[in-house]
Amino acid sequence: MPTSAIAVRCADHTVRATLERWLAELRIAAPPGLALDVALVPEIEEQNGERVFEQPEVGFLRGPDGRGLRIVWEEAAAVADLPGGAQTATVRLSAVAAARLEQSLSNFFMAVVIILLRRAGWYHLHAATAIDPVSRGWLFAGNAHCGKSTTAALLAASGWQVGTDDAAFLEARGARIIVHTCHAPIALRPGGRALLARAGGIELPERGKVGYWPEDLGGVWTPLVSPEIVIFTTVGDAQTTGERIPAAAALGELVRWSAWVMLEPDLAQDHLNALTRLTVQARCYRVTLGRDLFARPNRLTELVT
Amino acid sequence: MTDRYKRHPDLRLADVEGDGVVLHLGTRRYFSVSESGLALLQALETPRTIPELVEVLLERYEVTPEQAEASVRQFLDTCHTAELLIEEGTR
Repeated sequence: MPTSAIAVRCADHTVRATLERWLAELRIAAPPGLALDVALVPEIEEQNGERVFEQPEVGFLRGPDGRGLRIVWEEAAAVADLPGGAQTATVRLSAVAAARLEQSLSNFFMAVVIILLRRAGWYHLHAATAIDPVSRGWLFAGNAHCGKSTTAALLAASGWQVGTDDAAFLEARGARIIVHTCHAPIALRPGGRALLARAGGIELPERGKVGYWPEDLGGVWTPLVSPEIVIFTTVGDAQTTGERIPAAAALGELVRWSAWVMLEPDLAQDHLNALTRLTVQARCYRVTLGRDLFARPNRLTELVT
Repeated sequence: MTDRYKRHPDLRLADVEGDGVVLHLGTRRYFSVSESGLALLQALETPRTIPELVEVLLERYEVTPEQAEASVRQFLDTCHTAELLIEEGTR
């Protein structure tokens, strides 16, 4: 298994091995210099700082230095400090949190990694990514119930290269925005599995979903996509329909699905610039996904021609 | 009476093919502005009087000074409501 580019330093062998394995499985080709400095501590003080952002199980507080962030896990006492500009996250885990480490990976530690990567100029976006059979990069952005994962699974089953179904990282490289992905199972709810007529998969009980590797669906995982087409999805009924939208409207959508842009004022302009460049580089569409797509996946490519 | 206006330091601006997009990091809100509105907000990085802002529009657009001043005042009102401005020199 490849090692991760994000270093893990921890005196506890089990914790370090678990984090290293998780990061290696994600296959995030992170820029050098990022690190998690993890310590098990007997006690963690109550967190009373200013809350600047919330997501399920994870709170974001203004950092003690006023510029950075403190990330707290709400399920058990765990805290990560990322002072302004720092490329190392200092993580403190209580014994309870350490015992539930696996549960913390997809929320608490993923949040820490997202903020660390932002320090290196990689900007997180809730999006799925894919490359179609004629090598065009696609990005599907939206919230947790907008059909991204089901679409990613359908495209993988149709032979497309698929990156991620939810966590994409934008990086400005030369004149273009490229999107790094991570290697994680495409997580489907029961409805998505039924539409795809899929059995098997990896049970993800904490998320109420079943995961499928792109390779298991007949696709190929791709770590990098250069988007030419950006789709903002919603789930509809029978027919798949879509319309092209102006870049400014697309930027409004991207801001919604890249909420971190509002955090850490020192980084906000660069983050906004990356989102802006993506809207200019790609053709952007608002698409309502219908059931017809499962009989005719090419409907998506027809919509953008 | 306010003498000078400045954009709020929590604002971040983007120019998207002529349209303006504004993030307010403090209120966590997002706004779209016209090309002229973006030009005014860019000028408001440093404190400006209304006559100075009118000049910004006159340099860019073929409008009368009266039209430009009306536009500036309306824009400032809108920005004030959205907490996008800091007003200086109130007396």
